[in-house]
Amino acid sequence: MSIVRMNKISAIGLGTVKAELISELMDLGIVEISSQDSKLTDPDWISYIERDGNENEVLKLDSKISKINTVIESLEKYDNSKSPIFKTRKIISSGEFEKTLSSKDKIEEKVEHIFRLIIELNDLITEENKITANIISLKPWVGYSIPIELGETNYTSIFIGVVPNILGVENLKSRIEEKSKNCVVNLIGSDKDQNYLSILCVKTEKEDVYEVLKQFGFNAVIFKDIEGTAADNIVQYEQEIKVISEKKSSVESEISTFVMNKGDIQLLYDYLLIERDKLKVLNSMLKTKKTFYVNGWIPERSKKSVESVLNKYECWYEFEEPQEGEEYPILLDNSSFVQPFESITELYSLPSSTNVDPTALMSIFYFIFFGLMLADVGYGLIMSIGCYVILKKFNIEGTTKKMFSMFFYCGISTMFWGVMFGSWFGDAITAIAKVMFHTDFVIKPIWINPIDEPMTLLIFSFIIGIIHLFIGMGVKAYIIVRDGHPWEALFDVGFWYGLIIGLALWLFGNSVIPGSAAVGRWMSIIFAIGLILTQGREKKNIFSKLLSGILSLYDITSYLSDVLSYSRLLALGLATGVISSVISVLGSLGGDGIFGSILLIVVLIFGHTFNIAINGLGSFVHAARLQYVEFFGKFYEGGGDMFNPLMKKTKYIKITKEVI
Amino acid sequence: MELFTTGNFLAILGASVAALAGCGSAIGIGYAGSAASGVLAEDPKKFGSTLILQALPGTQGIYGLLIAFIILNKIGFLSGGMADLTAVQGGYFLAAALPIGVVGIVSAIHQGKVCASGIMLISKKPEQIAKAMVYAAMVETYAVLALLISFLIINGIAI
Repeated sequence: MSIVRMNKISAIGLGTVKAELISELMDLGIVEISSQDSKLTDPDWISYIERDGNENEVLKLDSKISKINTVIESLEKYDNSKSPIFKTRKIISSGEFEKTLSSKDKIEEKVEHIFRLIIELNDLITEENKITANIISLKPWVGYSIPIELGETNYTSIFIGVVPNILGVENLKSRIEEKSKNCVVNLIGSDKDQNYLSILCVKTEKEDVYEVLKQFGFNAVIFKDIEGTAADNIVQYEQEIKVISEKKSSVESEISTFVMNKGDIQLLYDYLLIERDKLKVLNSMLKTKKTFYVNGWIPERSKKSVESVLNKYECWYEFEEPQEGEEYPILLDNSSFVQPFESITELYSLPSSTNVDPTALMSIFYFIFFGLMLADVGYGLIMSIGCYVILKKFNIEGTTKKMFSMFFYCGISTMFWGVMFGSWFGDAITAIAKVMFHTDFVIKPIWINPIDEPMTLLIFSFIIGIIHLFIGMGVKAYIIVRDGHPWEALFDVGFWYGLIIGLALWLFGNSVIPGSAAVGRWMSIIFAIGLILTQGREKKNIFSKLLSGILSLYDITSYLSDVLSYSRLLALGLATGVISSVISVLGSLGGDGIFGSILLIVVLIFGHTFNIAINGLGSFVHAARLQYVEFFGKFYEGGGDMFNPLMKKTKYIKITKEVI
Repeated sequence: MELFTTGNFLAILGASVAALAGCGSAIGIGYAGSAASGVLAEDPKKFGSTLILQALPGTQGIYGLLIAFIILNKIGFLSGGMADLTAVQGGYFLAAALPIGVVGIVSAIHQGKVCASGIMLISKKPEQIAKAMVYAAMVETYAVLALLISFLIINGIAI
């Protein structure tokens, strides 16, 4: 129920067994290898050792992996089988894994083949785009019947180009006529921006004509590598496109014949990932001519299994406790109920190794808060059943699995509070009974209906909030005592406990236990004086000691706002309940009879789907906020690094040791 | 002007004022939504996480709806037999609606801005989504407090 204690492990062994050792450690998956950069600059070490590892090999494997990734992605595009909602790793036995790998060369050949096809396909697509662009640029010249490459005859110059169509063509023609009598300007076509013109003039007058054209913003159009008329060329291009698209579909169909090999290729991908990681870890190791040195972290409880492996390969090794205050990687270990809630802790930040794992305490309150805010039997049931089915049906892992298990538990809490508040899909059952069966049927709440008695629930929220805060402060006291400062725990936490309880009694005590207000008043005064005297203890002179002491009482406002923050438990609970009744009212508007019943069912389904989505999200966010801001704020220190052991980090398959 | 001394009118006006909190939600969700589309252009896989952040400023509108509904329910507007309210009673309902009507609008707009920057944050660091949500929830606190006050006032009005 806490952070797993780590030991530092160092080992030295012969270079000949290195590869096998790494491979076995990877199978165990419980050793995190640390980088050794600091030793490489340490003068005591530098004369004996050098960095292990081969960057080039790693890069080579990386490029191979990215190639296979491209292949898998394009195969997925042509895979028509239904893809599952959750991507899960396929479980295969190590025997099966080895068997498939025995034909590794064949698979690699296939990958090469598919990769070539993909390149071919890409080339065809580029070609197609180029031709399409050509067609578009030729389109305006369809009406131009002279071969495009013809620039001149013996006595005439021929050229084509565009002018912006704001200035009229007639205007242009008349201006050219002024300069030259022997010039023909033809309007081939026009679109919303430009006029497309062809000009034919006597060679000697070409300069003059050009001069005029320039004034009209003329831009000559020159087609390279094109012969014949525009229309002929377009026809030819279109034929080429037809050929290309035929080729394209034949290449595509060839690629899609490989879809059935996707499984093998994914296996190869994972195999290469494992091999790459084996090589990569060498970068964090040191070597001499004949030996290697490795250093890392290992959970204290798993020492035995690593010891036996190291003994097998005749390595020298040593385990070390972490030094005082030394940070080590964080692995959380919790009971099966608490474990799913680790995802909430992870979302915030893992604890630093000098702090504590808050998950166990937090999980109970998260469980209560979530249920209290959603509080509906129907919603809880849908959540729990949905999560249960997903967890059973799909082999999901990691944080996603934790999330679903967490919502499974939260669903149970939601049902519990739904029963307490008498909310079964809001009051849908009452509405159905009224519209369809003309009877009055009300499910009574076991405790209270929060809409009728909000004050009761508000006070309950504040009480549960104060308990939550006090536990947070208690954890802070625990950490301070653990670190050897029991007096500080008394001053910083104990006095505040006293002051807050005293104030609460002073203000509200008489309505619960007559006469307790007087006790509360004296408690408040004593503990307030205690705080004034102790909170300035760090300061040097007496005045600033007193001043800081008095100022520390100002913190009472922050405790007040923390407690008020728990009113969201009531507010969000009300939101769910009231929207549910709005849905019922809207659904009942159709009156009774067939039409009314159908309307009611439709409105109920849509309404409650909306409500569960929006208020489920709200409950998730606000339950987390109460933990992160109010609870964690009292003691928590994040920033731990997750324990990241050397293991088979595969993407598509999960290799089991046993033969299935 | 006789209308403004009619209790029933004032109460219904109160319900309408409360529902105005939806303006803020609409603006806030709008901010967050345009930020989300920008992020999606880069990486369509982030639809789920950006949608969560986009939905957050929507709650103020719901709180407004909630108060409006409670007012209408309490004065019997929905069941058909509307109570005869005095001008003072009607005024109470209007006053009760003001906290959520006003605070709802302002907090939803600002929550929308926080969510929009949160969406920018998760476009670069997707693992930080929890912190983005907490920042947004900090703004919402004040809408929750306003909702609470509106609710408690209505609950205390005797008709």
